[in-house]
Amino acid sequence: MREMSVAATSVAAARDVSPALAPMHVVHLGLVPYERALELQRAVARARISGAIPHDVLLLLEHPPVVTLGRSSKAQHLVASPALLETRGVELFEAERGGDVTFHGPGQLVGYPIVNLREHRQDLHWYLRQVEAVLMHALEGIGIPSERSEGRTGVWTNGRKIASIGVHARDWVTWHGFALNVHTDLSYFDLIVPCGLSGVTMTSVARELGADAPAMDAVAERVAASFGTVFARAPGLLDPGSLSTMLALP
Amino acid sequence: MATKVFMEALSPTMEEGRLVKWLKNEGDTVAKGDILAEVETDKAVMELTARGDGVLRARLAAEGDTRPVGELLAVIGAADENIDALLKKAPAAAVTPSEPSSPGRAPSPVAPPASADRAPAAPPSPPSSPPTAAPAVAPESGNGGERPRSSPLARRLASERGLDLGQLHGSGPGGRVIRRDIEAAVAAAPASAAQTSGAPAARTAPPAPRIAAAGDYEDVPLTLIRKTIARRLAESNGPIPTFFLTADFDLTSVRELRTRMIALGDEFKVSYNDILLKAIATALSQHPEVNAHWLGDSIRRNHRVHLGMAVAVEDGLITPIIADADKKRISEIARESRELAKRARERKLAPEEYTGATSTVSNLGMFGIDELTAIINPPEVAIFAVGAVGDVPVVVDGALAVRTRVRITMSCDHRAVDGATGARFMQTLRRLIENPLMLVF
Repeated sequence: MREMSVAATSVAAARDVSPALAPMHVVHLGLVPYERALELQRAVARARISGAIPHDVLLLLEHPPVVTLGRSSKAQHLVASPALLETRGVELFEAERGGDVTFHGPGQLVGYPIVNLREHRQDLHWYLRQVEAVLMHALEGIGIPSERSEGRTGVWTNGRKIASIGVHARDWVTWHGFALNVHTDLSYFDLIVPCGLSGVTMTSVARELGADAPAMDAVAERVAASFGTVFARAPGLLDPGSLSTMLALP
Repeated sequence: MATKVFMEALSPTMEEGRLVKWLKNEGDTVAKGDILAEVETDKAVMELTARGDGVLRARLAAEGDTRPVGELLAVIGAADENIDALLKKAPAAAVTPSEPSSPGRAPSPVAPPASADRAPAAPPSPPSSPPTAAPAVAPESGNGGERPRSSPLARRLASERGLDLGQLHGSGPGGRVIRRDIEAAVAAAPASAAQTSGAPAARTAPPAPRIAAAGDYEDVPLTLIRKTIARRLAESNGPIPTFFLTADFDLTSVRELRTRMIALGDEFKVSYNDILLKAIATALSQHPEVNAHWLGDSIRRNHRVHLGMAVAVEDGLITPIIADADKKRISEIARESRELAKRARERKLAPEEYTGATSTVSNLGMFGIDELTAIINPPEVAIFAVGAVGDVPVVVDGALAVRTRVRITMSCDHRAVDGATGARFMQTLRRLIENPLMLVF
């Protein structure tokens, strides 16, 4: 409670000092169904385009099990039949992001940065590389060395894929984003050919670190901090209620 | 008048894009700003918006088709307009630089995107002023149809990129259009692509100052030797292989300066710490390799100095930031540091006031600590630990003398800062502290 009231006064106080970095909002949403998260992203992106939200926003959340098809999805990359997906309680969605088919589920940290690239660089390739850098920086912080793989967007460790990336932009404002496997049940990936890349093995923070793996909250905090570092923004927490108020949502 | 729709550059490094989805059919009425299609490059999808009103008369690519940047993808026109001529001319000029490529900018071998290029030119101005609107659609003919002189290579590149040589300003001998003019025009393409939203004037400036712009730093990719140094040293000494450089600084001149300023009146009173903060900030501005961030796969050399200062609070410590400390007068640093420390102790700092430091100073002199080492605050690569200011016996010109001194220890992240680099920084710092008039310069 004390934290909250302090945060409220400091925002007002911040106006008369020159901050070193422009702020960005980090919103921890918990477990959110895919469709609801998609609506929220679109609402935040609209507000970002109109200027109603003047700063970049990073939504951090988990999804219940869901398979999503990107704009480049090929039918054969969905290995499982819709019926099998249903028996495993997995939803199926078509999304307007770039990339092929992917899986989201509990234990996977999903990040949706709503970033206005006009305030950074109008360059989607640069943006994809920046998002990779965020994840690599966060992973390094928890002791997992990771790397890029030329021509295969995403983050890899020891030849296994630990994070997937797919983004969408309108008027240089982004949505969709990244999915970092933390404690994900990796057997779900057997239902698909991840990102349309045959022969790719998925991994997770838990698989890499075993019992030493940090909890989801700790990973989410690191990712938010790394996002601030790589994009040169000062991340500050925003509670979901305040975000709804900013969006004038019920 | 008909409006042409081109494959847009979503990145200066994008050469072709894939049309992944049409959202309008031939014959549909479209209004400016409507989403016509989605284009994919790498794993990013960008919406292609209409820049004119009318009817979507022709779609010239199918879903899944890959087309070079600048190629005609569709035509929007009046329902009864004859568009045959437009279709015949495809591919036509698409990439119109939003401003004449100035000779100063054109030769840069890797032209940054226009926005990044523009931002640092006028830091205090709001970021949103979009480039002066260029016609989204290239005029049918430029320069009265007169063909400019051009090199054969430029002609070939222009035809590959679908550029009209008549639209380009030649920077070669006698106004000849040469390769770099083509490259500059291609690099400038995102600026014209940015005009998708229609009226640029309608965009409102974000209220908060956007201080961190792309031009405020440069990311230096790690060389092989730097990678090896980083890995080996981290293996030996924990995640941040730290080493320490300690030096004694003579404060005779600083004390004199302070005494004279205090004699002028209370309003001119500044502390030793304020002067040392100013000196460290000034030295950092001269040593971007120290004023840096370690990003894991690159080192960010920051061009602006945001100096963190460690403040002890009830249950720990926090490092509020003096933004652009190198550019501030000592009196401003004095006022701001006092105010930040006070608000830190009251826990009234906003995140942006303690995030984003490029380096940090920790001072335990007031506790009577002569010398200390501080722990680096990642991703920063150095921190400065300041001990107590005091009179000590020293040898001057072979004789014992009493001098006011302070001991400063610099902790360096060896992955980014080598011993000699740190030592050179300390040399600069000594020059500034022992000749404090340089801080006024």
